[in-house]
Amino acid sequence: MELEVFSAAFMSALFAIVLIDLVLAGDNALIIGLVARNLPKTQQRKVIFWGTFGAIAVRGAMAILVVYILNVPGFMLAGGLALVWIARKLLTPDPDAATNHAAQAPAVSFAAALRTIVVADAVMGVDNVLAIGGAASGSIVLILLGLAISVPIIVWGSHLVIRLVDRFPSVILLGGAVLAWTGYSMVVREPLLASWFEGHAATRLVAAILIFSISLAPWYSARLPEQMKPLVVLLPALLVWMLAFEVAASHWKLQVDYLLANESGEYLLEAVRWLGWLPLAGAFLWLREQFVQRSRRSQRA
Amino acid sequence: MRLIDHSPRAANAVQTVSPGGELFVLSVVVCMILASFGDAVDPMLFGEAGLEFALFDLGGEFSVLAMRHWHLLQLLLAGGVLATAIAVLRVGAPAVFKRLRPAPRRAIDKVPI
Repeated sequence: MELEVFSAAFMSALFAIVLIDLVLAGDNALIIGLVARNLPKTQQRKVIFWGTFGAIAVRGAMAILVVYILNVPGFMLAGGLALVWIARKLLTPDPDAATNHAAQAPAVSFAAALRTIVVADAVMGVDNVLAIGGAASGSIVLILLGLAISVPIIVWGSHLVIRLVDRFPSVILLGGAVLAWTGYSMVVREPLLASWFEGHAATRLVAAILIFSISLAPWYSARLPEQMKPLVVLLPALLVWMLAFEVAASHWKLQVDYLLANESGEYLLEAVRWLGWLPLAGAFLWLREQFVQRSRRSQRA
Repeated sequence: MRLIDHSPRAANAVQTVSPGGELFVLSVVVCMILASFGDAVDPMLFGEAGLEFALFDLGGEFSVLAMRHWHLLQLLLAGGVLATAIAVLRVGAPAVFKRLRPAPRRAIDKVPI
C-alpha cells in the first residue's frame, strides 16, 4: 500500500517512524567506542566511518525486507503481537539496562571491528525495524524517509535525544502508546483475520483494549494501589475469555448471542460465557494471596 | 543498550513522568481507544438499524463524531485538546465550587446584603 506523499496519513506514519526510531534507537557510538578502543588511531577513524555506514545500510535493508515479510499471511499478526511485547518492555524499568551491551570485548582487527558493529546493530535493531515496518503500512518511501530523518539525529545528535527524553520522560510513554497502536493496527490488518474482524466489528474494540492493557501494564500498574494490582492480569484475561467465545462461536457455529438463544444448551453456554470467568478469577486471587503470604513469611524468616 | 538508557529518568519513565505529560499521553491513549471504537462500527449500519442504533450504541456515537480511521497526528491533536480541557477543568472547577459553597453560619451576619 503506497500512501499519498504529504497526506495526513503519510505525515502521521512518518511521525510514528521517527518517534519509534528515537525511543528504540541503540547506542551505536558506545558500541563503536567499545569495539575500536584497542585499534590504532588511523584504523579507529575508518572503523567509525565504515561501522556507521554499515550499520545504516543493514538497518535500511532489514527495514525494507520486513515490509515484504509482513505481506506473508500470518506475519502481520506475529509482528503486531511482537510489538505489544516491545512496548511493554520499553515501559518496564530496567535497572541493569545501562550495563547491557551487545558488544563487550574490543576487536583486534579492522574486519572484526566492522563485523561486530554491524552484527550488534542488526541485533539491537530487530525490534526497531519491525516497528517501523508496521508503521510504514508497506511504503518503502516512508521507511527510507523515516531513516533519513532519524539516523542522522541518532548518530550525530544522540546527546540531543538523551536530553529530550531526560527532560520529557513522557516521550517514552508516548512511544509505548504509539507502538501499541501500531501493534493493534497490524493485528487488525492481518489478511487471515481481516474478514473475521469485518464480521465481528465489536471484537476490534476488545482487541484494542486488550493490546493497550497488556502493552501499557507497567505504566498503569505503577499507579494502582497494592490491592488493585491483580487487575493487571485479570483485565487482559477477561478480554481474552470474551474473545475466545467469539472465536469459538464463529469456528464451531455456536450461538453466543443471548437475545437469539432458545435452547437449554445455548442458555448454558451464555451462563458460562458471562459467569464462567468468576470462579477462575477467584481461584487466581486465592492463589496469588497464598503466594504473597508465603513470600512474606519467608522474608520474615 | 538503547540511547534512552543513558538517562535514568527516561529509563524509569513510568515513575518520573510529569503529571502534565502523563495526562497528555493518557488522553492520546483514550483517543486511540475511542478511534478503534469508531472503526468498529460502520456508519452505513445506521441506514439499516435506524436512529435507535445510533442513539443507544456507544460505538455509533463515536462514528457520528467522525472518529473513524483517524491518523496519529489527529489523535495527538485530539489528545492535546482533551488534556488541556481536563487541566482547565481541574484548575477551574474547584474555583467555581468554592463560590457556590454557602457562607459559614457565624459569618451570615457579616454578609453585606
